[in-house]
Amino acid sequence: MTSTTHEAEGHGAHDGHHEGLPGTIGHVSSWKSLVTVLTVLIFLTVLTVAVAQLDLGRLNVVGAIGIACVKASIVALWFMHLRYDKRFNFWIFISSVAFVAWMVGYILFDSSMYQHNIKEFRETHPITAPEIHEHDGGEEHAE
Amino acid sequence: MSTSVAEQETSQAALPERPKQLAMHFDTLHQQFTTGKLAMWLFLGQELLFFTGLFTAYAVYRGNHQEMFHYAHYFLDWRLGGANTIVLLTSSLTAAWSVRCAQLEQRKGLLITLALTFLCAAAFMCIKYVEYSHKIHIGAVWGSNFGVPLNEFPEHLREKYPDLTPEQLQQMGTGSFFAIYFCMTGLHGIHVLVGMALYAWLFIRALRGSFNRKYYGAVDNIALYWHIVDIIWIFLFPLLYLIG
Repeated sequence: MTSTTHEAEGHGAHDGHHEGLPGTIGHVSSWKSLVTVLTVLIFLTVLTVAVAQLDLGRLNVVGAIGIACVKASIVALWFMHLRYDKRFNFWIFISSVAFVAWMVGYILFDSSMYQHNIKEFRETHPITAPEIHEHDGGEEHAE
Repeated sequence: MSTSVAEQETSQAALPERPKQLAMHFDTLHQQFTTGKLAMWLFLGQELLFFTGLFTAYAVYRGNHQEMFHYAHYFLDWRLGGANTIVLLTSSLTAAWSVRCAQLEQRKGLLITLALTFLCAAAFMCIKYVEYSHKIHIGAVWGSNFGVPLNEFPEHLREKYPDLTPEQLQQMGTGSFFAIYFCMTGLHGIHVLVGMALYAWLFIRALRGSFNRKYYGAVDNIALYWHIVDIIWIFLFPLLYLIG
């Protein structure tokens, strides 16, 4: 009924033992691997909270996004089975992530290009509110 | 003409019996499964790009208004956000486990994991409701509607910046932060609600015994969707609640 050659294609790499009923479609994750993944994810969440308590300046953003990327990769590779899935699905995901990076990166780059215009505008249109710590960040006008 | 029709009929009769879940345009259940999965991955790829619009708005506003983002993040309670992170990660485990149960044809396990995923999603929305209602109550809302009186300032914010006044916060455009906050978490919340509806539907189908080791594409694809909802939150939590 189902062609065995087709079945073999979809499995991809197997990790050692093969669990599951005969003829099962797809990769069966062991419950141990699922629980391990959750434990690692919770540990990384605690780590994110701990790192955020330290004042590392710009590194705070880098650290938070870095840990989030690691967590997202773990979810994608194990919970979403990308490690065992067809390569094509993996590349769909990766190309989407590449476009995400391109979109955010390019728009941030563009935004930083006209910062001097904003600076000039602020100098010619000073805010009359009392000074706050460091320099202010506002341009929106209260009603 | 009539002979060719007759030939077709005889060749069809020679084919083995088709499983009842196999749609007419597929050859095998395996082909049907991988096709559905490919479509799901394409959908998830565009879901990421869909959310990226909002993440980009966040990045640009944060880059241009760093002080405002710093003050505003004190209004979010990281303990509630952290609790929601744990709830959502746990639901991701139960979602992945439901796929395992469907593959192994463990009917009871499938029903339990589907129900647990639904309940975790409901718990997430309950915590979200507590957060939203508190913010709306104190006036920490979007755009020019933003206006939090001094006595509603979070303790940490008052301790660290005793001179900060509500007028200053308003003038800095703190409403923009909350516009982004409500848009991002709101869109994510809508995805959680959709996920709850899908898991309710899966539960009913599992009750009827619709799934087996060769036919569980719906369980697998909805779990994939659920994991993407989880991944989005993995980024939302530190960006909104933790780093100021």
